[in-house]
Amino acid sequence: MPEATDRMSVGIGWRHPHYSELLQTRPAVGFLEVHSENFFAEGGAALEVLRQGRAHYPISLHGVGLSLGSAGGLDDWHLDQLQRLVDQIEPVRVSDHACFARGTFSAAGGQQPVHASDLLPVPFSTLALDVMCANVQRVQDRLKRPISVENLSAYIAWNSSNMTEPEFLASLAQRTGCGLLVDVNNIYVNALNDRLAGVNGDPVPRCMDWLDAMPPAAVTELHLAGHADCGDIVIDDHGSRVSDPVWSVYRHALTRFGAVATLIEWDTDVPALDVLLDEAAKAARVGQLALGQLAQVAV
Amino acid sequence: MNALAMEQRALLDALFIQTTDAASGNATNNIAAHAYYTGARGLKAYQNNAFSLAGSALQAAYPVMAQLLGEEAFALLARDLWRAHPPVRGDLAQWGAELGDWVQGHAQLAGEPFLGDVARVEWALHRAASAADLEPQPATFALLSTMEPDGLTLQLSSGTRVVSSAYPVASIVAAHLHGNPTLEVVGARLRAGEGESAVVWRQGFKPQVAPCSAAEADFVRALQSGASLLSALAQAGNLDFNPWLTSAVQNGLVLGARPLGNPWSEPS
Repeated sequence: MPEATDRMSVGIGWRHPHYSELLQTRPAVGFLEVHSENFFAEGGAALEVLRQGRAHYPISLHGVGLSLGSAGGLDDWHLDQLQRLVDQIEPVRVSDHACFARGTFSAAGGQQPVHASDLLPVPFSTLALDVMCANVQRVQDRLKRPISVENLSAYIAWNSSNMTEPEFLASLAQRTGCGLLVDVNNIYVNALNDRLAGVNGDPVPRCMDWLDAMPPAAVTELHLAGHADCGDIVIDDHGSRVSDPVWSVYRHALTRFGAVATLIEWDTDVPALDVLLDEAAKAARVGQLALGQLAQVAV
Repeated sequence: MNALAMEQRALLDALFIQTTDAASGNATNNIAAHAYYTGARGLKAYQNNAFSLAGSALQAAYPVMAQLLGEEAFALLARDLWRAHPPVRGDLAQWGAELGDWVQGHAQLAGEPFLGDVARVEWALHRAASAADLEPQPATFALLSTMEPDGLTLQLSSGTRVVSSAYPVASIVAAHLHGNPTLEVVGARLRAGEGESAVVWRQGFKPQVAPCSAAEADFVRALQSGASLLSALAQAGNLDFNPWLTSAVQNGLVLGARPLGNPWSEPS
């Protein structure tokens, strides 16, 4: 049974429209999350803003470009930039995704290197697990700290998968010692797309089953965000408030994992800072309620 | 190549091979052999996201080009560039350096031959914004009176670049970014066939661009190549050094002086 605590930390994604306002008003949030790649510069105004933010808040460096699942391995340049940033900012957590983006594609002159700048899914296969374990281990050896790896919203699924996503992620954590960053909205988006593809069953219980298959001790952070239902596909666009079903799944995650740092993400059509803070306050209330109930059960 | 590498290449082929290319259909069929369910719709979602990212990343680096071309044409240009010169780094701020050469060779943009150099100035501004932070050190100018000019050089601001053009590029960029000079003045300079060299640098955290004379351009380029002050002045022809230096220190282009061969050391 996870330990109940009132020290659950809720953070917000800190994006460009809120750089100045947040530094001026300094609202009470548990941590700020930024995308690591936005601060890979040697210097300049953005990096200075991050340094100022770091003076007042813990920073979670969340990457979108390491490409931990690439069969071709990691980009040394990317790792160099990340290490420099980690050394400067001393973040509370470093994370990226269980995806790939680097590789080559077939061009007229042969194979052309590319970084797709997206979170492309990998099969949940033994081979992909071996590759991701090696890449995660390399990052951790370089940074001299564990990182956390996040589950995706995936819009294609691979025929070669021979295990479930929770099995894949649990094995990754067990073999490398990495943490697991559980994006609750991503689980729900995948369940909705499964339903569109003809998979039977209520998405919310399916999400709860997914969470129940994860190793609680490895979970370091939870993500909450909005999604867009386009009719024929559901997109994880981080462009709206957290939906009611995702709040339900989040409550279940807390009862399963205990007090885990939680992030409100909002990356498209970024609203006023107050809206983000309102969502963060709601996450804190939901967390307190869920964890309070957990404490009563534990007693 | 193992099975995972083949799967990943199949997906990247489906996302990056030109839609006009006959191979595109093969790439989509190939990914369908590896992946199931939301395959076609899922691919479309990834493609849409990529083109959206291309437009926003390119607009961040090239705001003047976006103004000059208009929203729709710029978005199409971004899409074309994404496929012709796709990103190779996981940081999109690194993508788009090829835009100047790309538009220079673009048949549909041949009527606006200044666009290539405008793009080169904007890329210089974009890079200057993220260059290393260097502090001015006024006390080091004392070296100008204590050392011979062949044994010292001037330290330029971070991200300094010079772009020379047959068109009034500094004026075009400044007019669209700051409204000075006016577009009417820029139009008159274009019609008169005036060329300009643009010097780009960073003042504090703010990237700057200004027109400069041929002598200034030669002088700055010489300093950038590691020349001594004496050698740079020899390459600068008729540069009136003292007033130039006063202005360059005031606007942050020159940060100080240092012995030739010594690195610029930041104050501790």
